Amino acid sequence: MSEAVALEGGGVARAPKRGQFSWKAATPYLLIAPVIIYYIFFWLRPVVELVIGSFTAVEGGFTLQNFGLVLQDPTFWPAVRNTTIIVVFSVALEFVVAFLLALLINEKFPGASAFLFVAMLPMALPAMAVAAMWQTGLTSHGWINSLLYYMGFLEEGQKIYFLTGSDLKNLFLIIFVDAWTVIPSVMIILLAGLQNLPEEAKEAGYVFGGTWWTVLRKIIVPMVKPTIQTAVILRLIAAIQIWLIIVMLFGFNRLPVLVERIVYYTDEVPGLYNSYQMAASYTIVVSLVVSIAAIAFLQVTGAFRKQAEDV
Amino acid sequence: MSDRSGRSNIKRVGRRTVLYIVVVGVVLVILTPVYFLVSLSFLSTREAYQYPLPLFPDFTTEFKLERGERGYLLSVYDDQSGEYETVLDTEDMEKVSTYMRTFLNTLMTPEEIQQQVDRLESNITVTGMENDAITFTHRRDLFQNYKVFFRITRDAVPALIRSLQIALLTIIISLSIGGMAGYAFARYRFKGREGLKFSVLFVRMFPAVAIAIPMIIILADMGLYDQPLGLSLVYSVGSIGLTVWITASIFMGIPVSLEEAAQVFGASRLRAFLRITLPLAFPGLAAAAMYAFLGAWNETVSAIILTQFRPTFSVVVYQTLLGSTGQVNLAAAAGMTMAVPAVIFTFFIRNYINQMWGGITV
Repeated sequence: MSEAVALEGGGVARAPKRGQFSWKAATPYLLIAPVIIYYIFFWLRPVVELVIGSFTAVEGGFTLQNFGLVLQDPTFWPAVRNTTIIVVFSVALEFVVAFLLALLINEKFPGASAFLFVAMLPMALPAMAVAAMWQTGLTSHGWINSLLYYMGFLEEGQKIYFLTGSDLKNLFLIIFVDAWTVIPSVMIILLAGLQNLPEEAKEAGYVFGGTWWTVLRKIIVPMVKPTIQTAVILRLIAAIQIWLIIVMLFGFNRLPVLVERIVYYTDEVPGLYNSYQMAASYTIVVSLVVSIAAIAFLQVTGAFRKQAEDV
Repeated sequence: MSDRSGRSNIKRVGRRTVLYIVVVGVVLVILTPVYFLVSLSFLSTREAYQYPLPLFPDFTTEFKLERGERGYLLSVYDDQSGEYETVLDTEDMEKVSTYMRTFLNTLMTPEEIQQQVDRLESNITVTGMENDAITFTHRRDLFQNYKVFFRITRDAVPALIRSLQIALLTIIISLSIGGMAGYAFARYRFKGREGLKFSVLFVRMFPAVAIAIPMIIILADMGLYDQPLGLSLVYSVGSIGLTVWITASIFMGIPVSLEEAAQVFGASRLRAFLRITLPLAFPGLAAAAMYAFLGAWNETVSAIILTQFRPTFSVVVYQTLLGSTGQVNLAAAAGMTMAVPAVIFTFFIRNYINQMWGGITV
């Protein structure tokens, strides 16, 4: 295929005769075709099957009952609430802290290379390693309590029970663990954006009497906006799907979130007569939530408008 | 004038100080949990059940041996209390050896222990004191927890190999298919270009787990359920999208004039691509490959759903962790085994990643 393109393309553009097939015009489509075919087979097909599955009764035939069952599932609304809390707080917290850190570190300094590698570590660690790290830390006899004891914050025999207490407290524990995992890498992304800013732009802002705050708001933020958008959208999508660390710390059912429910119905109770239907319906719900959140974010920040201008 | 420069000097020193405080703070917050994961993975089981947990793993174990009621009394030096604590009273050296291996990560054969017993006996004969005791130190096997982890989870080694296979297949699929599309997006203007670019993003918005559930049936039809190739096909759906975006931005960064110049000198378009653009794009392609690798290596949800008898390594670790609350040293060893390949990979390729995000210059 590429061979033919190469032979025909030659280098100097030749205008194709009207109505005639032209390899040159077809080249981009040929290059993209494999992705499209791949997506049709391994994305569209499963998605369609999933949608059909979610509207199919256990004994066959169209039904809306599966979604009714999901809505009646006693863990559904808690799962929606928990997911919302995690997403709102973790994305906001991670972005603000990462941006502040990036602003503070936006300077060349000796050891920066080593620092960047350290900052990449949490992102490089697999979710299961992160889970092991905090599972061994947050148990009552874990390393966090031990460290606090050695540092003199805890009396002999005194322990903090991290994994008990209200759902809200536990949710913030999850948000904290996720922040630890994610903030350093978001910081690197934003740092890259900041370091690409021309120094003159900032200086101009100060020359015209701008305060630090105005320069930040009117010059820096708009200029790194594309970077911020990329970082936030990726975080948003990922935050909705946090579940593994929750299961590792609290087990199934203690702190339900939407994706945890899907895994619960597929892997923990696969024998249930309507496990597949429940999992499929939950998945549809999660997909809708993710898509709506991502599109809403892009709409609000005006990414679509920018894309249109780019063309 | 001098006052002004003095003030700006103070300002600069102040900024530097803030910078270093922030940098050191961030490094400490990141490295403390990492340190404990490493440290705990070397702890012996006896230490792992202590509270507070030791801050550093011991490289040796100190023993005290004396006569006991049932045979010989074995005591272990405890760093926390600073005293010897009696752990065994037996004359069965086999039992002592097993205890040392299981709870203290110290490998001593019954014969070696018998030698110490003989030394004690000869001491008693010389001094004539019945309650005489001897002490001895033996080196620890630091990797005992890792060996135990691989031994008790029989699946671990094959699962490790499978995970590497899956990651490699995912890189090949997503880089070849995604790279071609990325090049098209970067170099051509064509109808439907924007729509396609967004559809690629839209695919990523769909949670991976959404694909995994119906994939059970689809892969089973293809005979690929519970097979490495089947999982890598699923992982590629996620990584192709990212690969398209990364490679498109990389190819856009390489001036088209370079390719055109090569063509002017008589190279075909394909040749110009292979000889000029591809080498220049290599760092970015390596970064895309790393993302594909990490995505496949780290992924757990789809792997849980789509494997049965041939789990991936992350599933093996998941099952170990889910069932092992309490034994922190084994959990840490399992987590470490998962972490090490990913960290090494990131280390080798870290400059490429930075480059990909827009070239942090350090």
